[in-house]
Amino acid sequence: MTDRARVNLWRVAILVALLGGWEWLTGIKAISRTPGLYWIDPFFISRPSAIARRFVYLASGEVRLSLWQMALSTVQSTLWGFVVGVSTGFVAGLVLGRNDRLARVLEPYIIAFNSLPRIALVPLVTMIFGFGLLAKVVLAWTIVFFIVFFNTFQGARAVDADLIHSARFLGAGERQIMRTVIVPSALAWTFAALTPSISFALIGVVVGELLGGESGGGLGYLITQSLGTLNAADMMVALVSLGAIGIVMALGIKQVERRLLRWRPEYRTERA
Amino acid sequence: MDRASFEVLEGEFVAIVGPSGCGKSTILNMIGGLVTSSAGAVLVDGAPVTGAAPRHVGYVFQKDTVFPWRTVARNVALGLEYRGVAGPERARRVREAVALAGLAGFEEAFPATLSGGMRQRVALMRTLVVDPEILLMDEPFGALDTHTKLVLHAELLALWEARRQTVVFVTHDLSEAITLADRIVVMTRRPGRVKMVHEVKLTRPRDVIALRESDEYAREYGRLWHVLGEEFAYPQGGHPQGGPSK
Repeated sequence: MTDRARVNLWRVAILVALLGGWEWLTGIKAISRTPGLYWIDPFFISRPSAIARRFVYLASGEVRLSLWQMALSTVQSTLWGFVVGVSTGFVAGLVLGRNDRLARVLEPYIIAFNSLPRIALVPLVTMIFGFGLLAKVVLAWTIVFFIVFFNTFQGARAVDADLIHSARFLGAGERQIMRTVIVPSALAWTFAALTPSISFALIGVVVGELLGGESGGGLGYLITQSLGTLNAADMMVALVSLGAIGIVMALGIKQVERRLLRWRPEYRTERA
Repeated sequence: MDRASFEVLEGEFVAIVGPSGCGKSTILNMIGGLVTSSAGAVLVDGAPVTGAAPRHVGYVFQKDTVFPWRTVARNVALGLEYRGVAGPERARRVREAVALAGLAGFEEAFPATLSGGMRQRVALMRTLVVDPEILLMDEPFGALDTHTKLVLHAELLALWEARRQTVVFVTHDLSEAITLADRIVVMTRRPGRVKMVHEVKLTRPRDVIALRESDEYAREYGRLWHVLGEEFAYPQGGHPQGGPSK
């Protein structure tokens, strides 16, 4: 058996054990044939079989707002927040990373804003942008921006001075140095921030959705709705969907990273 | 540094040797405009050097400065790209330079897959492809093993014989200096001064392997070793003017 097959086998085995254990434990009654008394009550954590049934139901066309529409709304806001956050954070990181004085001037403001708990911004963002897509994107942005910014900033500062010198001796102007030395050099640092950025974009969006109600839509709305009806199964459907979205997005980033950083030794051997 | 004055003639290969910390590299950086001297000046064609990285100067660093995110061909193409040489002209010159460096077949390889010697070849050709009049080299082969070093000496000499750039080559390896240079500037220990300028009386073209066994080489080596040895002989703490030279 190859190593990869063995790893996959273990992964599946853990999944089966988890789901099986969950299903089994939530099925044992404390007092036989008395309804409602369980050792582990499925009322709170539901059961895989019940979650699967709700999943099928919510994904079907029978509900007004299907699971797909909610997931799409969450994914859309997350991607927007991610793209806007990464691009602005990257540019800001490059600019401040190569401009020492400006970086020193802005340092206290950046630290102050970054230390704000983002959730504290939610009411303000809601006041300004309402409950829709824009508010969610803004919330995701406030987190992603700083993660990408700090990494790119470090990366732009860590550029080897001898690489810049050698570019200069080869005839490079300032813009050419930026394009051919600083950007590719900093990119490796920026990429390290992208996988956490996706998770944090998702956090920002879901926080927006939790408070946004129906006009916010998305899986966060499914969660608050389920809380209203004390429906653990629906909540689990939302959580599993969020996890799946997170995995797919992280894998997508890994692919882009592998392509753009293929010059790095650690990506060479993985091609096969 | 102090009273470190010497001349380099056009088309001449000059090596600077001396104990570490004597300011060899600083001299090179002054010629390249990377540092300015507090007193004294570097004149090229009679005009003082102003600003970093003058256009006609090429610099090969001791450190590996090949861009790791670019393939061999795209590293060699850098200078041409910066200078706006494009299309078939650039492709042709890159192809020639890569072949000249003995790296044909490695055009699309990333530096991480190459040996140290190959990477330094890329760095050398990347500098030579834009045809600098003055070539500054700061211990370019310092990190290579003896065999690779000899091979690169032969290659560098062949390339230089063809183009006859003015070369200033910093090294602490005396045999390297004798093998390559027309004249050798010997520096004293800190504060670095020019101790002597020695003319290497070895005929060109030189065979870097055979040269080592010749009597002339042994004589040159013996003389310079003695002169340089005096600089290493001083007890390190016994000198009144220690402290960093840069």
